[in-house]
Amino acid sequence: MFTAAGFAKTWEYVSLFKEGLICTVSMSFLTVVFGFVLALMLAIMRLSNFRPFRALGLTKDGRLRDGGPLLALSRFNPLDFLATAYVEILRSTPVMVQVFVIYYVVLGNVDLPNFKLFGMIRFDRFFPGVVALSMNSGAYLCEIIRAGIQSIDGGQSEAARSLGLSSTQTMRHIILPQAIRNILPPIANEFVVIIKESSVCWTIGVQEIMYAVSATKGATYRIAEPLVIATLLYFCLCFPTSKIIAYFERRMSRGSKR
Amino acid sequence: MAANANSLIRVTDLKKHYNKGAIKALDGVTVDINRGDVMVVIGPSGSGKSTFLRSLNLMEEPTDGSIVFGGVDITKKKVMNDEGKMVKLDIDLHRRKMGMVFQHFNLFPHMTILENMTLAPIQVKHVPKAEAEEKALALLDRVGLKDRANAYPIQLSGGQKQRVAIVRALAMEPEVMLFDEPTSALDPEMVGEVLDVMKELAHEGMTMVVVTHEMGFAREVGNRVLFMADGKLVEEGSPEEIFDHPQHHRLQDFLSKVL
Ligand SMILES: Nc1ncnc2c1ncn2[C@@H]1O[C@H](COP(=O)(O)OP(=O)(O)OP(=O)(O)O)[C@@H](O)[C@H]1O
Ligand SMILES: [Mg+2]
Repeated sequence: MFTAAGFAKTWEYVSLFKEGLICTVSMSFLTVVFGFVLALMLAIMRLSNFRPFRALGLTKDGRLRDGGPLLALSRFNPLDFLATAYVEILRSTPVMVQVFVIYYVVLGNVDLPNFKLFGMIRFDRFFPGVVALSMNSGAYLCEIIRAGIQSIDGGQSEAARSLGLSSTQTMRHIILPQAIRNILPPIANEFVVIIKESSVCWTIGVQEIMYAVSATKGATYRIAEPLVIATLLYFCLCFPTSKIIAYFERRMSRGSKR
Repeated sequence: MAANANSLIRVTDLKKHYNKGAIKALDGVTVDINRGDVMVVIGPSGSGKSTFLRSLNLMEEPTDGSIVFGGVDITKKKVMNDEGKMVKLDIDLHRRKMGMVFQHFNLFPHMTILENMTLAPIQVKHVPKAEAEEKALALLDRVGLKDRANAYPIQLSGGQKQRVAIVRALAMEPEVMLFDEPTSALDPEMVGEVLDVMKELAHEGMTMVVVTHEMGFAREVGNRVLFMADGKLVEEGSPEEIFDHPQHHRLQDFLSKVL
């Protein structure tokens, strides 16, 4: 299975693995950043109180209806509906399918600029990969953010509103500062998840770690040795990161129990 | 109904239904709350006391009925402004005139006591920070907690937390204070210190609506007692009338259990 000669041969292609490492890390980092921005927008849509048909829920003399389809319609929030649909679709389909759809269908006829990031990573492959992964992790991060916000006791917002704060002020001064404590650790964990998931992007030719494996295999006819290197790289990225997150998570929860 | 010059909140036929009317948490409550009243609301569990109190500042949206506060029916979505135009009712404007104290204190855990107290005056009333802090410290001094101004809520006992919650509401200079079982979550030895603060507040003439199981407080401090059952106002009167001469059999039953 493993031979010294095999490792020696594989080692000739070590620069591919260096590239792969840089590509995997930068792709995962960008994905968390864009995914977070997307997730924040989705979470705001899901928690919004946008009800364009609100007026239908009132009777002629301005009272709330007791029930019926008009009351249901008055509570319909199209923003929430769209965001929910997006989240559910993205979470119920494989990330591999999403990567293919973005690369071959959505961006299939788009001429992406043909330059190389850091002088080695092909942008026309890298970009669709980041888009697909960001859209995917946006859906998961949205649920993390939403859960973080909803985990704040309802009494907090009641107390704030009873003091005369508006719903926006309540969100900004009371809910978000408390929610961020719950949200940060799972977001950091999502970074670890993306490092691993990003490996599917080799299928569209993004030069990340798995791409280095397949390229080395093609050149050397060795598979076990490149895989050992890839495994080590992924483990060395993910294991320490999750340990560091767990450490900060413990420290933060100690802070709140002061 | 004759207009009462002293009336602060007039509640008329207030209803709150859940599940399309299957649950009638409030089933037509009519009552006038006058300036300076210390109105104590008693009744068995599930009788609608909290719902009544929370409807007063629209924490619950009533199904029917009206609440006139400072001349405005706050249950209406639209109101006439000074120029005679119909505009959207700004409920935040009315809420800041009604202080509310909760069973579980609901202090903001990520803020110091002082920050808890100055947040709303600064953000809502745009009081300068220094002025808001000075006022907050004076209020804290009144309840003997001035030296805890920079502590976090988690560092206080239950009784201290509730005293802070009361002065936090007072910092907005409300016209009426609403209390929902303010001592029910406290260890018995801390009930007294909170009731003392409320008693003092009553003596200063603050209008108060208090939901409580503390019958001693109701009798001693209240000037009116409401007894609720099944979402209805069953009996109303002075503490003597309610406790010494209860008329309705539901009230007699209730008192025989709690006294
Ligand atoms: N969100 C809700 N959905 C359905 N029913 C509700 C809701 N809130 C309250 N109720 C019902 O309304 C009734 C009145 O409740 P409320 O909390 O006002 O009673 P209470 O007198 O404050 O009782 P307690 O002494 O236990 O606090 C109860 O039967 C309760 O189950
Ligand atoms: Mg209650």
